[in-house]
Amino acid sequence: MKIPIFSISRTWTIASSTIVQLMRMKTFYFLIAFALLVVGIGFIFGSIDPDQASAARQLELIKKLSFGAMDLFAWLFAIVATALLIPRDLEDRTLYTILSKPVRRIEYLIGKLLGVLLLVFSSLAVMFCLCLVVLFIRENAAVAEEMSNLQLARGENIELIKEQISLIREQGVRPQLAIGALASFLKAAVVSAMAILISTFASSSLFTIISSILFFLIGHAHSMATSFWESGSNGVVKALTNLVKLFIPDFQIFSFSEGIVQGAAVAPHLVGSMCLLTAGYLFVFVLLSLVIFMYKEF
Amino acid sequence: MSDIAVDVKNLTKVFQVGGGGANVFKQGLTSSYVVAVDNLSFQVKAGEVYGLIGPNGSGKSTTMKVVLGLMAPTEGHAQVFGLDSGDIRARHDIGFLPENPYFYRHLTGEETLKFYGKLCGLKGAELKDRIGELLALVDLEGARKRRLSGYSKGMLQRIGLAQAIIQRPRLVILDEPTAGVDPVGSRQIRDLVLRLKDDGISVFLCSHLLEQVQEVCDHVGIIFEGRMQQEGTLDELVSVENRYSLTLEDADPETIKEIEALISKTKGTTIAEQGHPKTTLERLFIKIAGEKEANKKS
Repeated sequence: MKIPIFSISRTWTIASSTIVQLMRMKTFYFLIAFALLVVGIGFIFGSIDPDQASAARQLELIKKLSFGAMDLFAWLFAIVATALLIPRDLEDRTLYTILSKPVRRIEYLIGKLLGVLLLVFSSLAVMFCLCLVVLFIRENAAVAEEMSNLQLARGENIELIKEQISLIREQGVRPQLAIGALASFLKAAVVSAMAILISTFASSSLFTIISSILFFLIGHAHSMATSFWESGSNGVVKALTNLVKLFIPDFQIFSFSEGIVQGAAVAPHLVGSMCLLTAGYLFVFVLLSLVIFMYKEF
Repeated sequence: MSDIAVDVKNLTKVFQVGGGGANVFKQGLTSSYVVAVDNLSFQVKAGEVYGLIGPNGSGKSTTMKVVLGLMAPTEGHAQVFGLDSGDIRARHDIGFLPENPYFYRHLTGEETLKFYGKLCGLKGAELKDRIGELLALVDLEGARKRRLSGYSKGMLQRIGLAQAIIQRPRLVILDEPTAGVDPVGSRQIRDLVLRLKDDGISVFLCSHLLEQVQEVCDHVGIIFEGRMQQEGTLDELVSVENRYSLTLEDADPETIKEIEALISKTKGTTIAEQGHPKTTLERLFIKIAGEKEANKKS
């Protein structure tokens, strides 16, 4: 019997089972409830005192809170979910029953990663749509208010109100916001691939979670660490810094979503390079995981 | 087609251990190595039930993992129906039930079989029919929609056995199949093993429950400290050559006296044992449980 080098069907079976597994876990509900709560709080908080801040400022606040919650959910869930998968399968001996079927190790590994990424993507998409709906309602309510003011206004007030409407529109629903959500997803994808690499040699889920969070934090301090260490002339320190830079992704490359949320424009080439870098990191991490996993004895 | 289901030849498995502590050491190796299996050879013929027995840590599970392709041998080889155990094609012919399996506890019995069936390339009506057939075989039709987290240990073992044979393998490997299961559940597993044998499926099982091995196995290997101590058919291993037993039913005391007198006249022959044959505690328990069940039904 001939067995293909890679079976999409078997990989999909593992990915879909991973999605079901994660969705039936309490962690998923906890994190998604937390993220939705923050989005809700943002909506309520933005509506508490309309006189205190301008409508545009309120919209900006809602976006900041919602996108912050989405980003936190994405990377934290990516770490926790990925860290729980392989070590738990090993502890429960479920891995033995899977790998004793005609399943290649690459299919198992990619299936697990794909499952996590699809769930993170779907959750982000749901949260993003919810955020857009909230934003759309708030934006139109604010614009309608300004429009009614416009009908009563005269002289220079008309210009001021028009400017206000334009500011509200700038902070409202814009296509660029999708890039902000995409950045959160891509960051979660890299974090997840990094966690899966750690879990291939880690002894427990807890170790994987702690080390992944540690590497994630180091990845955020990349540029700061680089400028600090490179200011010295010690060759060993420079070599060490380069090694860390090579293995720990620079997660700050995904942080331009903050600018997008604040209403800044994004150059298309930046989005392109972010996607390419993510693909590169995913490729390297999956390849390294596979090399370790292929030779791992259970 | 090979009539040898499992062929293990000169199998040696050496593990590197941290700290230097180990039980068994091979000559010429430093103290940081432990020899789990040492030059082990045996064959499981197609259609027979082979039991590998030995105490904990004797190398049974390691041997099993090598046969399953989960571990590579350090020396020697293991083949399944003529294919190297590391060859993924061999796994089409293998069904495996690990000791105390947990599987995915968030899945129902039906979903579990669907998952493993899909991994083996089954789909559509064929998979659906096979699931129904197996749930009936292992007597879990009533629990098909129940999540595995609500299954008893015996039920888990039975669903485990069902997943092991979902793709109709020619060889089923069972690691301590009745560990932690009550006598009734244990009897059900035993009956299923005998049924597999009747269907022409080879069974390779590891256990330290000697009475059960004796009940189902055609061939037995006794392993100790990684080495095969004794091997042969059950009759060869357990027969006492110079003894012969005759069990009488409803014999009156006169007949017994006549037989005793006849034996005492025969030169060189003595009665080594005499009395009422004893049932085993297990058989007694099964009998009582069966009677109670029958009373309940009537």
